[in-house]
Amino acid sequence: MINYIWLKEIKAELYTWKSTAWLLIASLLFSFTSYLLLTDKELSLLDQTELLWLLAKIIIGVGLLIITIDASSVLTSEFEADTAESLFLAPITLDEIIWGKLLSIITLWLFIFITAVPYILVTSAGSSLAGAFLGYVLLLGTLGVLGFSMLILAISLLFRSSKNTLSTSLIILLALAVPALFSSTLKINIVSDFFSKINPVDAIFASLDNVLVDYQLSIAQNLQFILPLVVFCILTLILLIIAAGQFKRKGIIQNE
Amino acid sequence: MDAIITAKNISKSYGSQAAVKDLSLEIQRGEFFGFLGPNGAGKTTTIRMLTGILPPDQGEIIIQGKNHTQRKDIAKMIGVIPESRGFYHWMTGEEYLHFFAQLYGIIKPERTISQLLKQVGLLERKRAKIATYSRGMKQRLGLARALINGPKILFLDEPTLGLDPQGQEDIQKLLKTLNHEGVTIFFSSHLLPEVSALCSRIGIINHGKLIALGTLSELQEQTQSKGSLKDIFLALTGQHD
Repeated sequence: MINYIWLKEIKAELYTWKSTAWLLIASLLFSFTSYLLLTDKELSLLDQTELLWLLAKIIIGVGLLIITIDASSVLTSEFEADTAESLFLAPITLDEIIWGKLLSIITLWLFIFITAVPYILVTSAGSSLAGAFLGYVLLLGTLGVLGFSMLILAISLLFRSSKNTLSTSLIILLALAVPALFSSTLKINIVSDFFSKINPVDAIFASLDNVLVDYQLSIAQNLQFILPLVVFCILTLILLIIAAGQFKRKGIIQNE
Repeated sequence: MDAIITAKNISKSYGSQAAVKDLSLEIQRGEFFGFLGPNGAGKTTTIRMLTGILPPDQGEIIIQGKNHTQRKDIAKMIGVIPESRGFYHWMTGEEYLHFFAQLYGIIKPERTISQLLKQVGLLERKRAKIATYSRGMKQRLGLARALINGPKILFLDEPTLGLDPQGQEDIQKLLKTLNHEGVTIFFSSHLLPEVSALCSRIGIINHGKLIALGTLSELQEQTQSKGSLKDIFLALTGQHD
C-alpha cells in the first residue's frame, strides 16, 4: 500500500511540474553559488575546503527549504482538495498513507541531491574530498530531511491546513537555521552553547565543517554530530506517532 | 432476511453540538434503503459513521459481522460516494480508477476498469484529465470508484447531484440493476421522487434523531396521510407551512 501512495505522490509531483520547478530552482541556486565561489575575486580566495563547506551548507539548506515548502502540502492537500474522504474510505490505514507520503518527500530530497552531484564534483575537483563530500551531504541531508519531514507531517495532522503547516514549519526551520548559520559570529554563553548542541541544523553544519575543513572523515569522528540528528529523528517520529494517534481519535473528518 | 448493517444507539457530537443522537437502525441484506433528512439533520454524519470514516462517540456499528473498529475489513466490503467529492485532477479517469483498484488489492484491474467506465458512460473520455470533466462526469467517475471493488453494500450520499435528467436516469437504472444483483444500497438524496421510485424502505432523520422508519405505506400510516413522500417528509420534519 505504501508504494502506491508513494507512486501517486511522485506522479503528482511530475504531472503538476512541482518537482521539476523545484529542481530547476535548486540547480539555478547551485549554479549561481558555484559560479560565485569559483569566479568572485574575494570568494575565490577562500581555501578550497572552506569553499566546499559553503557549498555543502547551501545544498542542504536549499534542500531543507524546498522540502519544508513541498512537505507542508503533501498531506494537507488531501483535506483541502476534498480527496481525503475517498482515500480513507479505501482499505488503507493512516500509517500507510503517512509512510507513503514520507517516502515521496525523501525521494524529492534524493532528486535534489542528484542535481547537486555535478556541482559537488566540479568544486571538489583536485582535492581528495569528493567522496566524503558526497557521502556526508547525502547522510546528513537525508537525516535532516527525514526529521523535518516527520515534524512537518505531524504538524499537518494537527492543523490539517497547508497555510498553517507551512508558516509553522518555516518558523521552526528559520529558528533552527539562523543561529546555525551565524553561530561563529554569535556571542557564546551556556544557553547558546546548549542550543547549538541540540540544534539539528547546527549539527549538520558542524559535521560538514569537521569533515571538509578539519579532515575528520570517519563516522566515529563525526558521531558527536550525527547522534543529535538521530535523536532529532527519533523525537520527530514520536511526535508523528502522537499526532497520528490524535488524528485517529478525532476521525478523518473533523467537523461538518 | 438478515441484517447486513446494524447501528446500535450511535451518537456523535461536534464539540457541544450533537449531530446524531442515540440512533439505532437495521438494514437487511439486499435492501434499497432511502435515508432522508433536512440539511444539517445528521445524514452525512450517520453515513460517515456507518462507513467507518468517523468513529461514533457512543454505540456500536456492525457491517456484515464486522465491528466499526475493523475499518480496513469494512472498507473492503463497501463502496461509497461520499459527500465530499474531491478528485485528483491531474489524473485521467482511467488512472484514477487504477489507483483505487491498487488500494483495494485488485490484480490486473484493466478489464474491471473498462467495464465500469462503460457502465457509467465514461469509456470514451477515459484518457482525458479529470480536470476537464464536467460535474456530472465527475459524479459518474465517483460511482465507478465506489464500484471498483465489487462491493456488497453501497453507501450513496446524493449520487445524482449535478447530473442532468438523462444522467440521473442512467444512474438510477444502474443502481436498480446492482440492487437486483444483490447489492444492498444505502441511499441518501434530497430528490424525493427518486427516493420513492427506488427505495423499498425509508428512514427520516431530523435534529440527529431517526424520527420515522418504514415503507412508503407505513410512513403514510404513521402520518395519517395519503400524500406523496414529499408531503410525508414535510409533515414529519415540521417543515409544512
